[in-house]
Parts: sequence; C-alpha cells; structure tokens
Amino acid sequence: MINRKITLLGPEGTNLYVIFQFLLFNVISWFTLFNITSELSFSLENILVRQIIFTILGLIVFFFFTYIPISNIISLSNILMISSTLLLLGVLFTEESLGARRRYDLGIFDFQPSEFTKVVFVIFIANALSKKNNNFLTIGLVITNLLLIYIQPDLGTTVILLLLVFFMFFLTDIKFKNIVAFSLLTFIAFFVLLEFNLVNTFQIDRITDFYSNEVKDFSQQQSRLQISLGGFLGENLSNTSNIDIFVPVQTTDFIFSSFSKSFGFLGCVILLSFWSIFGFRVYSLIIKTESNFEKFLLSGFMILLYLQIFINIATVLGLIPLTGDPFPLLSLGGSSIIAISSIFGIINRIFIENNLVI
Amino acid sequence: MFNKYRLNSVLILFSIFSVVIFSELFVLQVLDNEENAQQIENQNFEVFYIPAARGEIFDINGNKLASSILEPYLFLNLKKINEDNKKTYTQLIQFNFKEISNSEIEEFFKSKDLFIKIINLSQYDPEIRIRLLDFEAFEVFNLPTRFYPYNELFSHVIGYVGNPNKDEQNNFPNSINNKLVGKTGLERYYENIISGTASEVIVQNGNIVEIKPSVSGKDIQLVLNTKTQNVVKESLQEGIILANKNFETTNMIERGAVVVQKIDTGEIVSMVSLPDFDPNQFVLGISEFDFKQLNRTQAFNNFAIQGLYPPGSVFKVVAYWLALNEGIFPETAINAQDYIDCEGSLSFGFDDGSKQVYQDWKPDGHGKVNLSQAMKQSCNVYFWDIALKIWRTFGNTDSEALLQEYSKQLGFSSLSNIDLPFEKEGVVPDRELFEEWTISRPELVRPEGWLGGDLMNLIIGQGAITTTPVQVSNAYRTLLTGEKSSPFISLESSNNIIEKINISDEFVKFLLDDLNLVTNPGGTAYRSFQIMGDQIFDIGGKTGTAQNAGDLNNTSWFVGVDSISDPKYIVVTVVEEGGSGSAVAAPISRRIIQHLRESELTPVEFGEITE
Repeated sequence: MINRKITLLGPEGTNLYVIFQFLLFNVISWFTLFNITSELSFSLENILVRQIIFTILGLIVFFFFTYIPISNIISLSNILMISSTLLLLGVLFTEESLGARRRYDLGIFDFQPSEFTKVVFVIFIANALSKKNNNFLTIGLVITNLLLIYIQPDLGTTVILLLLVFFMFFLTDIKFKNIVAFSLLTFIAFFVLLEFNLVNTFQIDRITDFYSNEVKDFSQQQSRLQISLGGFLGENLSNTSNIDIFVPVQTTDFIFSSFSKSFGFLGCVILLSFWSIFGFRVYSLIIKTESNFEKFLLSGFMILLYLQIFINIATVLGLIPLTGDPFPLLSLGGSSIIAISSIFGIINRIFIENNLVI
Repeated sequence: MFNKYRLNSVLILFSIFSVVIFSELFVLQVLDNEENAQQIENQNFEVFYIPAARGEIFDINGNKLASSILEPYLFLNLKKINEDNKKTYTQLIQFNFKEISNSEIEEFFKSKDLFIKIINLSQYDPEIRIRLLDFEAFEVFNLPTRFYPYNELFSHVIGYVGNPNKDEQNNFPNSINNKLVGKTGLERYYENIISGTASEVIVQNGNIVEIKPSVSGKDIQLVLNTKTQNVVKESLQEGIILANKNFETTNMIERGAVVVQKIDTGEIVSMVSLPDFDPNQFVLGISEFDFKQLNRTQAFNNFAIQGLYPPGSVFKVVAYWLALNEGIFPETAINAQDYIDCEGSLSFGFDDGSKQVYQDWKPDGHGKVNLSQAMKQSCNVYFWDIALKIWRTFGNTDSEALLQEYSKQLGFSSLSNIDLPFEKEGVVPDRELFEEWTISRPELVRPEGWLGGDLMNLIIGQGAITTTPVQVSNAYRTLLTGEKSSPFISLESSNNIIEKINISDEFVKFLLDDLNLVTNPGGTAYRSFQIMGDQIFDIGGKTGTAQNAGDLNNTSWFVGVDSISDPKYIVVTVVEEGGSGSAVAAPISRRIIQHLRESELTPVEFGEITE
C-alpha cells in the first residue's frame, strides 16, 4: 500500500462523492423527521435534534474508518466477530422491553448490538470467503450469532442476515447444487426448531396470518393509505390539505411511509435513484479492485443495504409481513446510523486505496 | 474466487425488485390517490386510554412505600351494545356479579365513554373471565391501583394522588390520559418522572384495531429510613400528649414536625408532620365529610416545610456566628471569653429618646455570662447586647442589615429547594420589608417603622421572623459543614449545587463544644437528656421557645446534634403551642437521638421549663 498524506477530509485522495452521498441521505432523513414533528426545540427529547446528533456521531465514525487501512480490518475480523457474539449474549440479560431483549440502555440512547452484527457479518464472511477458510469455527460463529439474534426475538434481522449469507456464498464459485443444499438445510433446521417448540409462535402467527387473511395488518393498511396521500408531487409541493393519519412507529420502521407522504412518487424515485447511483459507483469499484476480500466486502455491504431497503419498503407497502427493519440512514435510530456510517467509511477507504477519486 | 457473473445476476434480481416496488408505488400514489384520500376522510378512529402504572417508591432499605398493583378489570364495549343484545349483557352481568345492582347496570349503558368499567376481576374465578370474553362486547384491561403500605406514616412526604384539574392537566400532560395526578409530596414533585404514559386503545367502528402499550413510570429511590420514621412519629406523638397534660392551653396541642437530616450529605432521613392522614383514602375517593374534617385539623399541611414559626432561641446560632466572625460582642466584653453581668433585664435609651426595658426569661438573671455560657443557658441579655452594638455601630447606615445578611447566608427567608412542592420561605425582617409592609400589610407594623427594638427581637428569633423546620435544620448543617446545598429526599433530586460558605474548622469545633454545653449539667436541655448518662457528653443541641401573639402558648423548638465527636445527624423538632423548648421538644429529640445512636429507647418525659 502506498503511504498517504493525511489531510483534513481523510488520507490524500479522499473521494468526495461518498461523503456527499452520506450527508445527502442524512439530510433527507432530517427533512422527513421535521415533517413528522414540525416542532423545533433544542432538547434531547426532540427527534430531529436526536437525529442530527446521530448524524454528527456518524460522521465521526465515518472518518474514523476512512483513516483505517483495509489490511487492518482484515486482521480485526475475528475479534470483531467474537465481540459481536459477546454483545449479543449480554443483551439477553438486559431488561425486557416490548416483549424482546434487543438493546442496551445507555441513558440518553439505546445501543442495539444486532446493527453492529450486520456490519461484522459482512467483514467476517468476506474474509472467510477470500481466504477459503470455511472451517467449523467460522460456520459455528455465524450460526451462533444468527441463533442469538433469533431468540431475542428478532425475526426480521435474522431473515436479513440469512439472506445476506446466502447471497455472499452465491457470489463465490460454489456449485449450484451446494446452494440448493444450503437452502434445504436452512429449511430443515427451521422445521426442527418448530418441532421442538423453539419458535416463537407469535412471530409465526404473524406470517401465517399475513398470507391467509384477506385483511391486511392494521398498521400496514394505514401506511398504504399514508403513502397514497403523497400523490405524485408529495404533500410539500402540491398544497393539498394536510390530512393526518394514524400510523404506528412513524419515525423508525414506517418512516418510508411518511417520506412518501411528504415527497410523493417523485421523491421516492429521486431517493431510490440516489441509492442506485451509489450502487453503480460501488459496482464499478468492485470490478476495478483486484483484491478478492474487497470484492466480497463491497458486494456484501451493498447487498446488506439493498436488502434492508427492499424489505423495509415491501413491509411498509404491505407486500410482506411486518418485520421491523429500519430504512438505512432514513429511520430514526442511533445504532443503525452508526453501523451504516462505518459501512460508508470503509467503502470510502476502499475508493481511496484504489485511487478512484473525483 | 469472486464470481462476477453471479454478481450481475444478483443485480438483475434486485432490478426486478425495484420494478415491483416502483409499480406498486405508482399505483398507490398516482392512480389510486383520490380514492384513498376519500377513504381516509371516512376513517374515524376513537381512542380509549388506560392509565399507566405509576413508578413505585422505595426507602433506603428497599421497603416499598408506594406500590402500583395491576389488576384485571372487566369492561363493556358500549359501541357494541344495541337494543337487541342489551338484555343479554344485563343478564350476564347480573348472573355473574350478584353485588352489582340493576340500577348500576342501567348506569353503565348510559355512559358516553367507549368502554365502561364493570368490576375488578381479581377476586373471581378465572373461568368467569374466559366465559365472558366469548361475548364480543366484553373486554378485559389491566388497571393499576396505587397503594401505600405504611398508611399514614409517610403521608406528607409521599403525598397523595387524585383527579387532575385544568391547571394540573396543563402542567402535567400525562395526567390527562392517566386521569390521575400527584397532588402533594413526592407524588407531585416527581409527577413527570413517576407518572408514565397511558396505553392507547384505538377503536374503529367499535372494533379495537390497535393497542399501544403503556409506558410505566420510573421507580423512585428515597433516602428516608422507615425505622427512623416510625420512632420519630411515636416520639412526636408522645411529646404532644405530654404537652397537653402539662399545659392548660385554650387550644388542643396537636401540631408538630420533625426533620432528621444527615450532616455530610444533606439527605433527609426522616420527616414527620402531625396531624397526618392516610393517602390510601384518596385512591378510591375520599368522602367530602372526611376531607373537610382532615382539612380543618390542617392535616394536609406538611409543617416541616410549610409551618412558619418564629424560631426563638434556636436562631441565636446566627448571632453566635456573626459575633465570632465579625468580632462584635457586648459593649463591655472584649472577646468571646470575656464575661458580662446578666441581671435578668436590660434597659437602655435610643437615639430618638425612647427608653425601654427588656426582660430576660430568667427574672433573676444568669449572672456572669460569656458567649458560650449565653448559648448554654440561652441568655437573652447577652444577645441583646450584641444587637445593641450592631445598632449603635451600623444603625441607619448601609451596613445596618448585618444580622439579616448572616441569616440569609444560612438560607433563612429563602426556599431550601428540598424536592417537595409547595415549600414556604418565611421572612427575615429588615427596614425595607417594614416599609413595604406599611403599605401592603399595615396591621403588621408600627407607624414608626424599623427600630432598634426590632433588631433586638430578631436576634433572639422573635418578632416578625418566621422559619420552617427544614430551613433551621439546613442552616445548622451549613454552619457545621461550611457547605450550603438543598436537602433532598429522593436520589432523583437534581438540586445539587453546593455553595461554599467561609466557615473555619476552628469555628465548627467551638460551636460544637457550646452546643454540647446545652445538654450538659447547667444547660437548658440537661433535664431532658440526663437519662442518657455519659452519652450526653457527646450530644449537643439548642433549645428554643418562641412567644406567640395573643394567649397562644409558646412554640417549642429543639435542634439536636448527634454526635459532637463525629457529627452525623441534625434533629429538628417543633411543637406548635408546645410551650418551653426544653420541656417538650428536647425530650422528643432525645428519644430520636437514642434511636440514631442505637441505644435503648426510653419514653418521652416532660423536661424542665426554661425560657
């Protein structure tokens, strides 16, 4: 690796595009949250103030990872995976809130370790795939983490991580019959869990209800109506009368619904176009870089981000059952923003190390 | 190896996802927009609120002083009642709950609420509950009930809860949906923390579509000690009974308060005010008769923070501090050790030509006294001499209010900011206040305005000055530590600013020694503390007897300090119309100090009448 001069915006040759994209997504989130609360007060209770603080923390994390060489991240991957396991174990001993143990209460904000696990999973699997060290310990750690998240219980995150593992394996030269075997094994494992009553029936009921009932879930029904209210231009541009509608968890899981109401179909197209442009730029980087690890890492990150976006929008639209996954960089929530900031920081670093600069 | 072609196929798969999402969004937002907007306008949601469980309150040893019990209640969904099924539901209620009368059932159906509470199910067979839930208009919700296991013991500190009025609804938004608000005490002070957010039951056309769970209030940890509280209340009650036996007063002696404060931290270990009340009475609703009766006896006043009394001789400690700090002593004394002659009265002339004679409580006088002896025997003449010295030196100048400044330093005439609501601040009079009163409350002042005699009254804690027991306790604590901070009952308290006061270790030692003299042979409180044997040499205090206007008996005060070698606690006792401080308040404090020192408790006995 070439020794680089350290500058204010990162090592020499910082790619301004990534930071611009990161900030843009954050600012969109601020506007969306402002449309929900429409109150300005400087207290930690105010969701907009909270989100801005999270963005600033996110920026610090972004630059932190920009200064860390990729080679260091490779060597840290095992430690990261073990600490993720410990954090997920610890969270099981915290106080239950709303029927699950998912977060550490850190006073003014909560830390959700499963968000950290998402990032660590990509790094760990990318490292394992590029070195081809698919030994039992590697697989054991992955399965342990999945189980720990599953028993929180957090079915949404478990599904996302399972799909992530699936897609990342798919990107190797692994034979199709092995992929089929992997999927079959997952299914069998699931039914074994079901048989031994280790599955939270509440979550299964939600899924079976979804596909058996004609009537959609109440909150999804409401969010569909709210999205519809946005029209083509959105409430902000098209002076329509402000109709209030009740949607649960507006600021987190269902934020896309408020976004669509505020900015309309046009806003949705623009937001998703930005994500596509970002995807294509990273795609060109995947093609350009010669390191296998970086290829796996970048594709893993993009698959993770897109899966979250797709699943979140599909939930809000009522196409799939309720999962409770946040929309990257749009939903209110410190852990999610910090985790995604680290992804953007690492991507930025890879751009720099490959001399892809604007 | 990384397979680029497979990445491309993932890309294609994701593109298909995007197309699906965009087409769905397009249909919803552009094609069906009008239709859905119409549908939303036809939506009419109604919300029914279920109160959240209030946070529980614990004493320092983890005893629960206020609890929230969740119990299942049967509700009737009135939107689902029509003329056809009304009869069925009436019969169901009659059959299962014999104690509900027919007229009560009629009332249920007349209610305009979404749901009406029928009965608490916790006493009934769970079978009934399951059977009734088969009928669609029945619902079961858990409702919290406030319970105070110690009944009257903590009534003033913890306070009680009740229905919020308009002002309370504005100040405490949670109280609207909880239909409950803290009315006094900690329940009021920490209302925002302790109340929690009510659960929302969202109803559309009579059907429950969503239940947003409630958020329980936060638990509160106190520094109070239940054992001490018990002893304090018993002792105060015993003292009041004795006072009634020994004095012939026109009014029953029934009011008093005690504050026990830790010296190092300022935390309140115990706070009792009598008469008290049972806060549980308010939970189910108190009858107007009972309420008025309690109100007549002033049972809702927490005299520890709201009782305004002239402090009498316990206030002499301010002049004591001033004298040593400024070097101001009686005219004939050079220093604190120097003696003056106390002949039992003081007569003097003022500049304006008036001449007055002041009579000490001991007609024959205390003989030779210096500062320490004046404290020990509570000699008024010595302190009047100091007042005269101040008046002659600074009277009618800018520095005139020297004594007032010293008392304000110790927190008199301002709120102690203890974590309780409705605290009173009292007054320390000076020329300005008298001028103000001449206009606003002319009945309180003489036309001549502020005179030297008023300063002489003030120095012995008489006249217009009023203080609360908690102020007195905190003032003594400030003098003994050199730190002024707010006393507190809960660990949630955020008033933790500490103001440093310039007090030397030497002064603290001197003061402790002189407070010790009060409980020793020859001191005003000796008779009350005698029973403790050798322990009296490690205990200190100050008696106070404040005169009241009219034929009211004197206010009885005692400030106890335990111990002299290692000052840990201050015990302030006040008995309204309790007479001499050394006779009533001192033995009450003595029994409390016995408890604090873990000695054997002996009954409160009537002490010596002094002052």
